[in-house]
Amino acid sequence: MGLNLLFLGVLLLPWASALLVALFPKPLFSISLSAIFSLLAIYFCTQASVDFKITYPWFNLGGKEMNASFWANASAQLVLGLVAIVSFCVQLFSKKYLKDDTSIGRYYVYLHLFVGSMTLLVLTDSILIFYGAWELVGACSYLLISFWHQKTAAIQAAKKAFLINRLGDIALLFGLIALGLHFNTWQFSEINGIAPTLIGIAIITGGIAKSAQFPLMSWLPDAMEGPTPASALIHAATMVAAGVFVGVRVFDITSPETHLFMGIIGAISFLSGAIFAIFQNDIKKTLAYSTISQLGLMWMGMGSDASLFHLLTHGIFKAGLFLAAGAVIHTVHSQSLNDMGGLRKKAPVAAFAYLIFGAGLMGLPFTSGFFSKENIAGFLYMNGHFELLGVLGVGMILTSFYISRQFYLIFMGPVKEGGPSTTDFALPICILVVASLFACISWNPIEIQGSALLERFEVSVYHIPSFWLYITAATWVLGIAGAYFSRNWIPAGNYQFLPRFWPSLFRFIRWKSRSAQIFETHFIDRFVNGIAALQVIIAHLLAWVDRHLVDGILVGGSSSLSAGTGKLLSRWQSAKVQSYWTMIIVTFALFLLYALFIK
Amino acid sequence: MTNLPLLSLLIGLPLLGALVLGLGQLKEQARNIAIGLSTLQLALLGYIYTAFDKTSGLFQFNETHHWFSISLGSMGQFMSKYTLGIDGLSISLLLLTGLITWVALWNSTEIKEKIGGYYSLVLLLNASIMGCFMAKDLFLFYVFFEFMLLPMYFLIGIWGGPRRNYASLKFFLYTLVGSLLILIVMLGMGVAYVDPYETALLNGLIRPEQDFNLEALKSVQQLISSQELATSSLVHSFDMQALADFKNCQITSILHISSGWQLAGMSAREWGFWLLFIGFAIKLPMVPLHTWLPDAHVEAPTAISVLLAGVLLKIGAYGWLRITIPFFQIEALMAANILAGLGALSIVYGAYNALAMTDLKKLVAYSSVSHMGFVLLGIAAFTSEGWQGAIFQTISHGVLSALLFLIVGVLYSRTGNREIDSYSGLVTLMPRFTVISGIAIFASLGLPGFSGFIGEFFSLMGAFTSPFVHPGIAVLGALGLLLGAGYLLWTFQKIYLGKHYQKNAEWSLPDLNKLEIISLFGLGFISILLGVYPGLLFELSEKFVTELLK
Repeated sequence: MGLNLLFLGVLLLPWASALLVALFPKPLFSISLSAIFSLLAIYFCTQASVDFKITYPWFNLGGKEMNASFWANASAQLVLGLVAIVSFCVQLFSKKYLKDDTSIGRYYVYLHLFVGSMTLLVLTDSILIFYGAWELVGACSYLLISFWHQKTAAIQAAKKAFLINRLGDIALLFGLIALGLHFNTWQFSEINGIAPTLIGIAIITGGIAKSAQFPLMSWLPDAMEGPTPASALIHAATMVAAGVFVGVRVFDITSPETHLFMGIIGAISFLSGAIFAIFQNDIKKTLAYSTISQLGLMWMGMGSDASLFHLLTHGIFKAGLFLAAGAVIHTVHSQSLNDMGGLRKKAPVAAFAYLIFGAGLMGLPFTSGFFSKENIAGFLYMNGHFELLGVLGVGMILTSFYISRQFYLIFMGPVKEGGPSTTDFALPICILVVASLFACISWNPIEIQGSALLERFEVSVYHIPSFWLYITAATWVLGIAGAYFSRNWIPAGNYQFLPRFWPSLFRFIRWKSRSAQIFETHFIDRFVNGIAALQVIIAHLLAWVDRHLVDGILVGGSSSLSAGTGKLLSRWQSAKVQSYWTMIIVTFALFLLYALFIK
Repeated sequence: MTNLPLLSLLIGLPLLGALVLGLGQLKEQARNIAIGLSTLQLALLGYIYTAFDKTSGLFQFNETHHWFSISLGSMGQFMSKYTLGIDGLSISLLLLTGLITWVALWNSTEIKEKIGGYYSLVLLLNASIMGCFMAKDLFLFYVFFEFMLLPMYFLIGIWGGPRRNYASLKFFLYTLVGSLLILIVMLGMGVAYVDPYETALLNGLIRPEQDFNLEALKSVQQLISSQELATSSLVHSFDMQALADFKNCQITSILHISSGWQLAGMSAREWGFWLLFIGFAIKLPMVPLHTWLPDAHVEAPTAISVLLAGVLLKIGAYGWLRITIPFFQIEALMAANILAGLGALSIVYGAYNALAMTDLKKLVAYSSVSHMGFVLLGIAAFTSEGWQGAIFQTISHGVLSALLFLIVGVLYSRTGNREIDSYSGLVTLMPRFTVISGIAIFASLGLPGFSGFIGEFFSLMGAFTSPFVHPGIAVLGALGLLLGAGYLLWTFQKIYLGKHYQKNAEWSLPDLNKLEIISLFGLGFISILLGVYPGLLFELSEKFVTELLK
């Protein structure tokens, strides 16, 4: 009973917090609410069983009960824990980062709304609520990207993010409806068996947009126009990982073909994201492409426990990278690599943290990222996907290359610019540093052994023979060496993937809409006018017949009546639409004749 | 209380007000009287809502009075009754009508001329809409349906914008065509169908105090089909229940199910279905019969736009569910694919047009076309999800379109300009207005947690899962979700976000006043309430849907 109450608290507290913060927009107040939420959520994860279920009645439809049901299984609890940790760090970080912003209260409201939606997404068992929460996190992302609403780039990016996500949502919508229909249930936990491949692919396609996978990736780099801490929470650690989470949710009920589809999309994104990360001048955009690449890596895990595990470790170190980048941006007041360099003295905490998080990204030993990356390799090896394993090797070279290069350009080399050093951001970054070290997972830095965390949440571990360790080591060496040799080159701009594609698509939609309007004025209205004109002609004819034939030939009471009609009819030439009347009366009279006499 | 003719009171109250105000007295008090009566009506509706039995699929609060009967000689006699009643379909629409009228009356402050006439006509409009939703007799329905045109025509034609004459005439003629199509079918059916109960009474088959049970009905229908009763002793009526049962049709009529009569390749029943369908489709409005709507909206004053989009369009959907489909069930089922296709067309076409608009009010008008397309798509599904979704979408759109038109009105009342390009970055001047506009826009694009989501979701789901509709049509309709997000976010970005700009520097744009805050946020709250507890509406219409689906 206590646990149920606790669960309800975890579920509803962020929404209540959003309301309270809207009324009392004080950062400290918001942070303490967030702290309470995080503590409750983590306490819940430690207490609840890995098959925690709870159902509230919601409404009836067509004799069927639609329940608001929740299912905090192991994966849900793990992601909830991630949301709790990262959201608290981000709240803490934002207080200093946005301290000069007058609308910081609004920002905190959005953060709470996002955490509420994300919690709902993770914990729900109902397919309908899952889809709802899926859209809600997208809306929160819109609000946070467009937080600085005076910036044209920011509001453009927000709109683009929402629209591209909507595109994916449509695929997800039909995938989920078909899933529910196929198994005749609206709860994930009641589904047994394997869904047809088409349904699985539709669901996974929904995840493509949310996880910014190939080919719908271009919104994520644009989304970096939002505040950096929000990017850390939404566009690095949690929301974009929802696309992976949906894969995890349906992993057991989808076919191997679906898994392969997911893996291939992931492999393409992993490589292309890593390549584009090299060619970015903007520090945040590098991280955005890095996120795309790493999400691709999770997709290569195909929604298995390997995906889930990397989702967690990546969530921690990528959020950390963003926060550290935020600290750097705060120091130099620029996001361009041209303005950075030698910042290890000005921002020592950020430099140290960047080193640790970067190591996690590369998958160096002594970080948790090492475990999760090896775990995905193990998963691919055990399932015989050697092509994907090869892709992983190449991608790891690229990853090591871009992140070590970026580290060099920011923190090493000659000092270019920068304000006074600042250590204000130390606490939240340090929390994430600690969380991204190997000890959180396993005491053995090379091999996962006796991991309390993984055992508690029943995450299966995939081992890979030791030959892979040599390949991994070679990728580090190659990557870092490449970075060393190209250390003086800075990309001139931010090279985009398919830069012309989306603007031209929007132009296409504009064009379509304009042609629809032209169709309307030139076709429908003209057609109606044509009918009207025809009626006027008929009226003229009738009037003529009336005057010359009926009135002229037939004399008497009937003729005077017709003459009246004729006059009435001829009057209608003045306004075209009015002559509908004639049409109506003629049709009406004809039908009455049929109905009454010919029936 | 229960002995009072509650439903007649719902019509009588505004009618009385319209009469008093229409006589030209009490001009200063016109607004107060109208709002007072509307409040009273709303309270009455509240009572009816609490007393309404949700578990019953039958009509409740019934009132029956003999109206007139005409002897047709050898063809029997015609009879029309004044019968009112409400069931799960009508109660939610009645509540919507009461609410939207109330809101529209409050927000009629821009009307400064001929106040008495204005409020009188709004009350008259309200009375006839109420009558439409409660009439159980097709003739009575038609009287109310036709009567609606008149106040609307004058409200647009007198208090409208610069092109009001064109717009009001266009509205009038379009709707008149629609109602004439309905009239044709109504007369045809009146002649062809026999009212079994009245016939039985007339021929002494049952006694007046006796219950008319199913067996008695069957025996009368037997007599009708075997032509044992002389045609002169038959009673024809426009009772909807009698018309909904095709067994009541005379075997000699072309409308009889076994009649081989054909015109242009369609049987008389198919003709009947399509005429009725198109008659109501004009009201909805469905593409391509929608071109009157943008003109009417652009010229109408804010409160009238609110009424038009919030309530009047709903009669189209109501007519389909109450009349077209029950009367011609088989024909409707056969046409399910075409109906769904037309629905999807309305959704996508309306959304594309909305994207092309530069006038904010026209944009909202086209978004109405698009959103009402979901209603048609849901109805075409012939599943309980689809119908529940369609009914829900009807109510939800009533609330949301009222909200959107009020938002347009807020801008227009301050500047007299509705061009989207004339504004930018209003958030700095009008933060509260931006918040509620944001809520309205996200609710309209179907964000979960708002009512629009539930309606669109279940309409789409119904169409997708329906055995009668090709799933590709539902997928096409879902494109409307994307386009809807497109034009709404584009509008939001242009008007509210970005750097502050206004075309004319002299415009003063103060934030919302108290009245605006209450009405706008009130409607927003209702949308959220329905979005979070959709059961509030689903439980009302549940019985109606399951009964009709049988």
